[in-house]
Amino acid sequence: MAELYSLHWRRAYRAAYLVVHDAAAAEDIAQDAFLAAVDALDRFDRRRPFAPWLHRIVVNRALDWARREALRRQVDSAESVFEPLPPPEEVGSEMIAALKELPAEQRAVVVLRHLLEYTPGEIASMLDLPRGTVNSRLRRGLDRLRETAELDAVGEERR
Amino acid sequence: MSRRDALSKALREVPIPVPEDSEARGLRVVETVYAERQRPRRRAFHPYRSKSSTAPSQREGGRPLRRTALALALTALIAVLMLSPAGASVRSWVDDVFTAATPKPEPTLGEIPGGGRLLVQSAAGPWVVHQDGSRRLLGDYEEATWSPRGLYVAVAKGRTLSAVEPNGTPHWSFTAPGRVSDQRWAPFGTRIAYRAGQALRVIAGDGTGDRTVAGESSPIAPAWSPLGDPTLAYVSGAGALRLVNSESLIDLATAPALDDVAEIEWAAGGKAILEASRGALRLREVQPRKLQPRPLIEATRPLPVPAGATVVDAALAPEQETVAAVVTNWRDHGTRSSVVLYRPGETKPRSLLTVPGSLGEIAWSPDGRRLLVAWPAVDQWLFLPLGRGLESAVANISRAFAPGNRSASFPRIEGWCCRR
Repeated sequence: MAELYSLHWRRAYRAAYLVVHDAAAAEDIAQDAFLAAVDALDRFDRRRPFAPWLHRIVVNRALDWARREALRRQVDSAESVFEPLPPPEEVGSEMIAALKELPAEQRAVVVLRHLLEYTPGEIASMLDLPRGTVNSRLRRGLDRLRETAELDAVGEERR
Repeated sequence: MSRRDALSKALREVPIPVPEDSEARGLRVVETVYAERQRPRRRAFHPYRSKSSTAPSQREGGRPLRRTALALALTALIAVLMLSPAGASVRSWVDDVFTAATPKPEPTLGEIPGGGRLLVQSAAGPWVVHQDGSRRLLGDYEEATWSPRGLYVAVAKGRTLSAVEPNGTPHWSFTAPGRVSDQRWAPFGTRIAYRAGQALRVIAGDGTGDRTVAGESSPIAPAWSPLGDPTLAYVSGAGALRLVNSESLIDLATAPALDDVAEIEWAAGGKAILEASRGALRLREVQPRKLQPRPLIEATRPLPVPAGATVVDAALAPEQETVAAVVTNWRDHGTRSSVVLYRPGETKPRSLLTVPGSLGEIAWSPDGRRLLVAWPAVDQWLFLPLGRGLESAVANISRAFAPGNRSASFPRIEGWCCRR
């Protein structure tokens, strides 16, 4: 278990973070995904690779979290217990900022495609979406990322 | 390098924040749960597994199974006990005893019935339980309390009082002049009252402006007025119930508190303060006055507790003067505990549930429609909707808040948050 964990934790955490943009939530999601995997080991076909199975759990949980958080922010916007502290120094590059501006659904497919390197067909299966939806989310996501200076050329490749 | 490769490289390599020790922390939890899970798999016989379970639960183990068996056996005794002469004596002081069989407990905590989030204090520290049952340990703090709308948690450890987000992110910390305890966030949100040693103090919600309100107080959490004003009720070192304006520090009113009072809580509407001790419950009427800043402390209304019974915990409903209490009786044939409801205008309390053994603390759901009751003797939580019997029971609570620790102590429910 330790070996499996060490092999996969960093990518699981990174994928979760790039979808939710919250370190504590990403830690929880990665840990929960491993716990879910442990709980379902009996049902897992051990001839198949572990990573796609884990990544499916990670990205779906990250999407659930991002949707809940978006809803919570709408509901909670009225509460002002005290002035929040300024956010910590922006971590990473314009890339992170640009990715954060995408809707969670687009972030998820971009992360699955370009970080975890699954095909659109595999992503469709993981997220239980039509392949056309995956392609359109990828296209929209990459179009918006392309608008940043650092990733200006990303979309051109597809043309 | 193609541009697609460039994007992949950027996603792989862009620096992201990684909480300190998070990988090792997760590995400890996963390894512990994995090891726990391996044990029951070697069991040849598993008589109490839920029929709906398609795979062995990660939290099932020998000890909780024995507890579950004990719970079922004890539950079967309820009807017998209530039909006995001693049981009849319990019925004599309530008008509606509910003794339906306890449902088979869920093996793990799932979605919280009725929604909301729970704050639970374990030996390791406070946990936030989200609506879907997922949990997060906030840190090794000793006490915790919700902010009025649950966006923050005020936590204490030693002489340090801190405000953290429900995901554990700290906002501020303050070192008090004494050991911090009994912190309570004001309903209007911008003040926190707490005890530092014996002193009662108030600090602003952003961690500034700390001040002493009273030099000596009894070891009981203070209670804020629910009316949005800075009036604070507390029990003085001499055992008096006192009201003080926490801004001007003017004493507003005082009256004798219940002997050995262990808990005070201000009712919604601001017209009564609940006082609870081991042997008694009462509502102290308070009359807010519009033309003068000083409220009047008036008569008390005792809430009947059966002779010889012990009040374990009591709580006021979120939006009315209904009090829910857990009382325990010791009789020749053993201990029994009841959840009792005192409604305004009703002369006799109503018993919602009676079980063998000792129940623990009680908490209202944010909408006031449910109660959560701890049953440490069988390692369970009971969810009790008003007027509809027992909704569900959840087993293996101790281990849910101490993964891998088979001798974990039963955690304490600190709060159920929040009505929006």
